[in-house]
Amino acid sequence: MTSEAKTHAIDISSMQRDNRVLNLADETIALEVKDLRLSYGDNEALHGIDMHIPKNRVTAFIGPSGCGKSTLLRCFNRMNDLVDDCNITGQIMLDDANIYERSVDIAELRRRVGMVFQKPNPFPKSIYENVAYGLRIQGVTKKRVIDETVEWALKSAALWDEVKDRLHESALGMSGGQQQRLVIARTIAVKPEVLLLDEPASALDPISTLKIEELIHELKKDFTIVIVTHNMQQAARVSDYTAFMYMGDLIEFGVTDTLFTNPEKKQTEDYITGRYG
Amino acid sequence: MRQSFTEWTKSGAPWVWLNAGAVAICMIMVVGLLSLIAVRGLGHFWPADIVQAEYKENNNSIRMIGERVQVQEVAAEQLRDGGVNVPADVETMDRVLMKIGNRDHGGTDFIWILDDFIEESSKPEMLFAAERREWGNFYGYLRSIKESGNEVAAYDGYEKSADYEALWNEFQNRIERAEMIHDQIKDIEKGKIGSINYELERLRLKERALQLKEVTDTAKYAEIDARRAELNAEYEGLQGELLDLYNAVNRDSITAEIANGKIVEFKVAHIVRAFLPNDMGLGGKTGHYFAKLWEFLSDDPREANTEGGIFPAIYGTVLMVIIMSVMVTPFGVVAAVYLREYAKQGFVTRVIRIAVNNLAGVPSIVYGVFGLGFFVYFLGGHIDDAFFAEAKPAPTFGTPGLLWASITLALLTVPVVIVATEEGLTRIPRAVREGSLALGATKFETLMKIVIPMASPAIMTGVILAIARAAGEVAPLMLVGVVKLAPSLPLDGNYPFLHLDQKFMHLGFHIYDVGFQSPNVEAARPLVYATAFLLVAVIAMLNLSAIQIRNHLREKYKALEM
Repeated sequence: MTSEAKTHAIDISSMQRDNRVLNLADETIALEVKDLRLSYGDNEALHGIDMHIPKNRVTAFIGPSGCGKSTLLRCFNRMNDLVDDCNITGQIMLDDANIYERSVDIAELRRRVGMVFQKPNPFPKSIYENVAYGLRIQGVTKKRVIDETVEWALKSAALWDEVKDRLHESALGMSGGQQQRLVIARTIAVKPEVLLLDEPASALDPISTLKIEELIHELKKDFTIVIVTHNMQQAARVSDYTAFMYMGDLIEFGVTDTLFTNPEKKQTEDYITGRYG
Repeated sequence: MRQSFTEWTKSGAPWVWLNAGAVAICMIMVVGLLSLIAVRGLGHFWPADIVQAEYKENNNSIRMIGERVQVQEVAAEQLRDGGVNVPADVETMDRVLMKIGNRDHGGTDFIWILDDFIEESSKPEMLFAAERREWGNFYGYLRSIKESGNEVAAYDGYEKSADYEALWNEFQNRIERAEMIHDQIKDIEKGKIGSINYELERLRLKERALQLKEVTDTAKYAEIDARRAELNAEYEGLQGELLDLYNAVNRDSITAEIANGKIVEFKVAHIVRAFLPNDMGLGGKTGHYFAKLWEFLSDDPREANTEGGIFPAIYGTVLMVIIMSVMVTPFGVVAAVYLREYAKQGFVTRVIRIAVNNLAGVPSIVYGVFGLGFFVYFLGGHIDDAFFAEAKPAPTFGTPGLLWASITLALLTVPVVIVATEEGLTRIPRAVREGSLALGATKFETLMKIVIPMASPAIMTGVILAIARAAGEVAPLMLVGVVKLAPSLPLDGNYPFLHLDQKFMHLGFHIYDVGFQSPNVEAARPLVYATAFLLVAVIAMLNLSAIQIRNHLREKYKALEM
């Protein structure tokens, strides 16, 4: 992907961003990662990560395959707990509380930190029931509350107009892009604080990708968003901050503009100009 | 030539032929099997013509009346050895199996005779056949009808005439009347008196329970005695009613001429139906055929199971399979969920899996022995001690019955359900599980709301296989609950309606019983085929309904194909 990556990296003119100058020091911090180490058996995949994820901003993780960006993302809602021999040390602070504390209720944590996966994974239920799923899990039974939340979530995910007449049809009949937006609607329906997006557009066509990107731009008003992406152009387009990871280390983290135009580290520059990866 | 043979081999054509041949042989065998049992079994209900003939052997001439059932070729040598006078130039002769009926007059109702000695064979239209409640079929000429011993109508010729038809119609009317009274008797005996007996037995047990608990409150005993007196009075009333009905039903009798020319008399009440097969057109025969078929499907058996219907056996088979499914499904699913979702995968789970798979290969009779020893005697015995002490020494659950048969078969089929469910669980995409977990669902919620519903088609596959295996199983059932003749159905109108402790009838065992334990082998043989065909049909029906459910579920959860 060398030559392609180069054009992506240089094509900064297409970035949509606020004119306001961003500065990490001025931001409220949503998530704070402190010396996070993760290993699968004897194999260490993250070698002590320290970073701050700013609130109500889009933070992108980029890096070559196997650099640990998805693994790091899955640490934020403890998805890695599902892997049998996974061992984690260090801390991730969410509202000044370590999410790796023994006393933390994992289900509660996952309600606060929602996640959207690479491939759309709607449940084999109706569109309505997909969005209502999280609410029902939380024990919400009032139909009015559920109805309102479903409508709000679908509107927020820019899906309402397309599906409002077939809410009770199976979600499996939707297109891939619609399914992915449905999954986003499902995730935001439980009103999480943080939204983790793991390459949300990599399985979609360009038009659906564009819709998802627009959606991300909209959603950051309400949510802190962390996105993992392979596509540097996408990172440049949608994110405020970017973290470049390589071989389980966080190499550079900063305002997206700066990182793409004037990277501090040689490795970052090599990657974004397509010299490796 | 050799060259081309190698090429022919290489081209794969022989391989294709081999495959196709294997499939063809399978198909021929299956279709052949089904058509054999269908033709032999279903043909039985077709009304056969009655032949009258003179049988001449050694200058003796005997009149024979009966149905030709089967023709066989025998060597003349064999007949000569048996003392039959066979001309020297003959090498083989045909012999015929005749169903001559009238067991109460001749002793046997089937005989083999030589075809060559039969002369003047004819099919008189006046000959009638009667199915009776006992002694098998009757064949003969109707001579007169008697009411309370006095002749009301008679006919004396061998040719059909208007008089004969009047006599015949009168006969049919009286059969109908007897049949109606018979139904009333059955209703009182089986229904009303059955209920009274059932309640009396419950009262006895209640009283016994009070005695065992050493209750001294006389009011309670008095209450039971009062109710018992009430029931006894009701019983007396019904007895009187029954007596009247019996008198009424036994009012009519008929006389008929049988093959040897004697006139015999018997009660109309003994006749189930009488018909004139030689006088029936195609329409009449078809009607008769379906009436017989319906009787076979819907009636109780008569005459040591060789006549009548097999409804109790169908009922028992279906009910047992349903109870078995209801028990095996949750059990197998829960076990599979633990093995696949909760247990730490490793040596132990591997050993358990191998053990479960091997369990499926254990001969079923072994399960029967286990069921008898563990379920019936141990579990059932303890249940009796704990809950049914008042009924002792008669066992309630400590004896073979529907519950134990169902549980034994559930045990027999649980490996199938476990394997199929595990297979289904592994096929649920990780992404969907993660999607649910990421929304804050616990593992349990994910399993209940997403994973198990999505695996339900696979679970149904397991249940289908379990049904297929359980419905055809006979050997273990003989030890844990099936009987030759059950007096009542295990599901009836008496509280608590479903009697899990009762013994029941089963089609598979019925085949064995009718075919091999019957005193009247010739009469039983077609029923063996008919029952076998019905068993296959019942299993196919149970399977088809399970497949229907599975297809519905598949349609609902077709996400797996994404």
